[in-house]
Amino acid sequence: MDIQEINVASCRSRDAHSCVENIVEMTDAEEEVLVISSSTDAAFDSVIGCIEDIIMEEEFQQLQQTFMEKYYQEFDDSDENKLSYTPIFKEYVDLLEKHLERQLVERIPGFHMNTFIELLMRHKEETDGDIFDMLLTFTDFMAFKEMFLEYRAEKEGRGLDDNGLLVTPLNSADFKHNKPQ
Amino acid sequence: MGLLTILKKMKQKEREMRLLMLGLDNAGKTTILKKFNGEDISTISPTLGFNIQTLEHRGFKLNMWDVGGQKSLRSYWRNYFESTDGLVWVVDSADRLRLQDCKQELSTLLLEERLAGATLLVFANKQDLPGALSKEAIREELALDDIKSHHWCIIDCSAVTGENLLSGVDWLLDDIAARIFTAD
Repeated sequence: MDIQEINVASCRSRDAHSCVENIVEMTDAEEEVLVISSSTDAAFDSVIGCIEDIIMEEEFQQLQQTFMEKYYQEFDDSDENKLSYTPIFKEYVDLLEKHLERQLVERIPGFHMNTFIELLMRHKEETDGDIFDMLLTFTDFMAFKEMFLEYRAEKEGRGLDDNGLLVTPLNSADFKHNKPQ
Repeated sequence: MGLLTILKKMKQKEREMRLLMLGLDNAGKTTILKKFNGEDISTISPTLGFNIQTLEHRGFKLNMWDVGGQKSLRSYWRNYFESTDGLVWVVDSADRLRLQDCKQELSTLLLEERLAGATLLVFANKQDLPGALSKEAIREELALDDIKSHHWCIIDCSAVTGENLLSGVDWLLDDIAARIFTAD
């Protein structure tokens, strides 16, 4: 995305070890999860923290970028959606989910997604806040379409950057494809 | 199912519903959708893809999906079944010649596992047209009384005048709400 976000990400990035703290009970049987409730709260919080790290990292944004690069020409700025958007959307959600799971497994010894999902359901009341809003955005079709349209507009030099300046295409040949906004 | 999908399902239960609107081409699905949204309905062309509208109604957020109904598009309908709380089946009440086709498509849908839990609302649309069949006649033609697998209701309406569109959605909403929110 933009530079500001990447900076935030690099400031926020902790090393993988910090994710490990308080995690031990996560993978254990339900019984133990219930008994050591304060530890599981900590475990829950640190997985959430880890997820936060993962989605702020450049690798994650690279993943999104590559995906958009692959499909952006399929997206048009019309109200009606093409049927082809739906399988692309499915692939996108799948891709992000797999990446998240893989990263969590890598960073947290003994991490199991199913155990964490159970924990998540038990912590349902705590699933508010920015991180959850962000995760939900990934599964929101309209947000997905908007992201592609913005990417396409930017690629074709029609986009406005954060400062409200017009982004001009590097290659003058691209001008041919410009459409007035 | 992965983390994001589960999280979404979890959060959606909070006063949010997904309605899927299907039916043969030219039944009036998109017109219904646009009428709900207060948009101009004078220049609607056949839907080749799908439309989405979000309506706020009685404190609920209704996500309405309308997918094109042409024969060649119907095999894509299945991509939209997931998480559907309510199925809105739209019928052109004046299109007598295709009622058997309409009946056939509906009964195929009702066999779908992913729609098993959905409430069915049948809109007997185009009541403003002369020659439109009554909702009783449509009910009989589509053999709705044989449906035991889903809660259902048929309502006569006109997407052009807007008549009865809201009563249909109100019934749907009540039925879904009774099912979802008492189960919690």
